[in-house]
Amino acid sequence: MSYLDTYGPQLMKAIQVHLFYVLSSVLIGFVIAIILGILLSRVPQYAKIIMPLLSIFQTIPGIVFIGVLFLYLGMIPATVIIALAVYAIFPVLKNTYTGLLDVKPEYIEAAKGCGMSKMQTLFEVELPLATPSIITGLRMSTIYTVSWSVLAAMIGLGGLGEFIYIGIASNNNFLILLGAIPSALMAIVLSLLIDVLRRVVVPKGLKVSK
Amino acid sequence: MIRFENVRKKYGDTVILNNLSFNIEPGEFVVLIGPSGCGKTTTLKSINRLITPDEGKIFVNGNDISESNPVKLRRKIGYVIQQIGLFPNMTIEQNIGIVPKRLKYSKDEIKKITHELMEMVDMSYEEYAHKYPSELSGGQQQRIGVLRALAASPPIVLMDEPFGALDPMTRSVLQDEIVKLHKQLKKTIVFVTHDMNEALDLADKIIFMEKGEIVQMATPDEMLANPATPLIRDFMRKSSSSSDFSELTAGDFMKTKFFSVYKKRSIRECTDLMARQHIDSLLIKNDDDTYAGVITIQDIKKHGTSSGIISDITPYQNITSNVLENAKESFDKLYATTDNYVVVLKNDNTIAGIVSKTSMATAMADTLWGDMQ
Repeated sequence: MSYLDTYGPQLMKAIQVHLFYVLSSVLIGFVIAIILGILLSRVPQYAKIIMPLLSIFQTIPGIVFIGVLFLYLGMIPATVIIALAVYAIFPVLKNTYTGLLDVKPEYIEAAKGCGMSKMQTLFEVELPLATPSIITGLRMSTIYTVSWSVLAAMIGLGGLGEFIYIGIASNNNFLILLGAIPSALMAIVLSLLIDVLRRVVVPKGLKVSK
Repeated sequence: MIRFENVRKKYGDTVILNNLSFNIEPGEFVVLIGPSGCGKTTTLKSINRLITPDEGKIFVNGNDISESNPVKLRRKIGYVIQQIGLFPNMTIEQNIGIVPKRLKYSKDEIKKITHELMEMVDMSYEEYAHKYPSELSGGQQQRIGVLRALAASPPIVLMDEPFGALDPMTRSVLQDEIVKLHKQLKKTIVFVTHDMNEALDLADKIIFMEKGEIVQMATPDEMLANPATPLIRDFMRKSSSSSDFSELTAGDFMKTKFFSVYKKRSIRECTDLMARQHIDSLLIKNDDDTYAGVITIQDIKKHGTSSGIISDITPYQNITSNVLENAKESFDKLYATTDNYVVVLKNDNTIAGIVSKTSMATAMADTLWGDMQ
């Protein structure tokens, strides 16, 4: 257990940094994705072209993207956060978009017929009905981002990736596990927290039945 | 109250509304009817500006609606759709209160309105107001759909085939309720349907449309007495024939799913078939498919052995009737005996079906309340 004594404080620090990267980039990505998703759902005819383009972008390896961004922005946390946020956008964006488009037309028609404005329809009917789908997107983004945050260490910006890189470089399995296990646990814990969030934000009427 | 002046609407090259002009008086219950694609729904939706006509003018309460704000206009016109469209994320009370809330009614007022409206359709506020739509049956949901349209006491209510998706029983109950509500509240109601029975029951005035034009606008009595075109007569006949009982035959009521075997089948096969299909008797056919009788599981038991073929047992002579026989006579026969069903035979003595007491009940419901399928 001497390893833990040696690496304990360093590990705690790495977990904090890692979590900071995940939370800030998912938050930024989430906000951008919701706004984009809403805008795209208003113009589905353009979205049909834009969404596939974005999904191609999604296939660029994160390691390449961080590398390129690093050249422009340098070795600062913003580099990591921007790169991760960009990747966090897509799952939420896709689920927001499809969630909004899947709202049955009868609800939109009823809302219109009841004299609800477009904004009221969006915020009181469409978005609440799309929450289950949006939360699913958020969960995917979060889990992906936990694993992508490992890349921060590649440009020397800490996080749990540090242990993994050092472990690989020094052929030390214990160090690899010391990075990998906490990041796996982080993914599990965050996804449990999102389950709690789901229970809070998904309207009760979508969960009950006769 | 509502006036159309030379209203036209086209989708591409298809003319949906062709120079439509009519007038609806305050408090009238007007039913728009016609074959699908006749423009009845388009007419309805132009009244609350869900659809904008290409030409012509529509006046509500003397005001040209093309000059009014659509959102404000719709708050003064109730709207009920066939798919019900209660918002699943809102409780019943929130659904009913949706228009009053936009019109800045207080919470207490909304509660009071919800209470009163629910009472009118015999739904208890305490029991249902805080439930969600998914917890209610289809009929209950559409009641709430109607109440939602009435909540801000709009002078006009538009209904687009509101009962079309409901089962016949519930539909007739809701039709009665809507007539009651109309009498009590004296709203101007514009109601779209393709069911002539519904139109005749509900309307003060029926507007029959075809290809975007009004073919006849008349009271139900006038329309019954003097249908303007053969198409209208057809519509009326279709709806009235189904309520004429005396001409129905056994063939109209029989179940065509039954189990029959040829005489030379082995007894074991027959008992197997009965066990698999959960039935206690089989119809027996001669080689030329004509009816020979019925064998019940008791008959086989009495026979004592499961070897041999089914014609070793003398089949029971169950009561029979002809497919063309009057249905009432078949029912009377069924009541007069202890047999479980009547075997219905075609003219050449082959089996057409059976009439049992349950097939009778469902068939009667069909005829009374429309097609159960």
